[in-house]
Amino acid sequence: MQQQEQEQTLCAILDAGELLLTAGAEIARVEDTIRRLALAYGFVRADVLTITASMVVTVQTADRAVLTHTRRITRRETDMRRIEAVNALSRAVCAAPLPLPELVCRLDEIRAMPAGPVWRKPAAYLLVAGSFAVFFGGSWRDGLAAMLCSLVLYVIGRAGDKLGLQQIVLTVASAAAVSLAAVAAVKIGLGQGLDYIIIGNIMLLIPGISLVTSLRDMIVGDTISGLLGTSEALLRALAIAAGCALVLMRLGGAA
Amino acid sequence: MADMVLQTATAAVGAFGFGLLFRVSGGRLVTILLGGAANWVFYLLAMYVYADRVLAYFLAALATAALAEVLSRFMKTPVITLLVPMLIPLAPGGDLYHTTFALVRGDVTAFTQYGGLVLREAGAISFGIILVACVAQTAQKIWRLSKSSG
Repeated sequence: MQQQEQEQTLCAILDAGELLLTAGAEIARVEDTIRRLALAYGFVRADVLTITASMVVTVQTADRAVLTHTRRITRRETDMRRIEAVNALSRAVCAAPLPLPELVCRLDEIRAMPAGPVWRKPAAYLLVAGSFAVFFGGSWRDGLAAMLCSLVLYVIGRAGDKLGLQQIVLTVASAAAVSLAAVAAVKIGLGQGLDYIIIGNIMLLIPGISLVTSLRDMIVGDTISGLLGTSEALLRALAIAAGCALVLMRLGGAA
Repeated sequence: MADMVLQTATAAVGAFGFGLLFRVSGGRLVTILLGGAANWVFYLLAMYVYADRVLAYFLAALATAALAEVLSRFMKTPVITLLVPMLIPLAPGGDLYHTTFALVRGDVTAFTQYGGLVLREAGAISFGIILVACVAQTAQKIWRLSKSSG
């Protein structure tokens, strides 16, 4: 392989890893995929270090040259379709390596996957908020109120994304807005259980799952990623509590 | 009893909602709907037998992870696409909220009480998941070894 081609191959392999990581795949899966792809494309050795914020890959070629590439990872959004697609691609490639241009093309296709119907996210918000308000002990009217509040959450989230707001600021704002909407819903008599309405919506914000996955990373040996994830989760939980407290201490009485 | 049925039904819908949010595709959403219900049924059963919340979380995570592992083999998809949404009803969101709210309010007793609970719950779930993942990996290796040698 020419050196330029080797670099492009490594770059494409990192693209695959980045797609996985930004879609919310486990650290172990990302590292494993990169290692397998590198070996499939003829590198004799691949050392991979992935944490939630960055990827470092060093490969050795058959003629003993050494290449290192690094990627910085900033945004992540869980997207199972992407994980599935990259996973399927990497399986296919490991069985029979595709020519490089085709691999790049397939990765581009995965990156450009359509976002799905417009109603997907708001519908998910409605379902989650409504069902968890009832799940935690609210009445069906609380569920209904929670559903209405979740639309407020959705709109704020979208506006924040458009404006490129800091994640933490956006979280505080979302939590405050949801609490405000919940107080309003109780005031006009739509629901009674203020706590249930808020908790139903907070399930959408709260990093329960990322706390669990971070602990899992730590137990399987990816300690740094685990610690990063845990502190991120705790920070988010604090931001949520701060947002809610901001509103409830004034309006909700003893919440 | 009616409470439990309602909880199971809403847990299922909640898991389905998270599946939608995480962009799980098509028919797998139905699996997640049923898996979310199964997850909560496992929890209720464990709770009925042992009456211990953390232990019940562990057992429910264990059973759900095993279920997801088997289903993902059948559906040829990475385990997490099924497992993460199915575990949502166990996610310690409510208690995490109570913990941080206690901190903001300055209620130290409630903070330590809820905080400890959240950590134990999250730890119990993680251990359940890892145990199943380890067993699955080992079983796969043994299967491959026995195939290549026989």
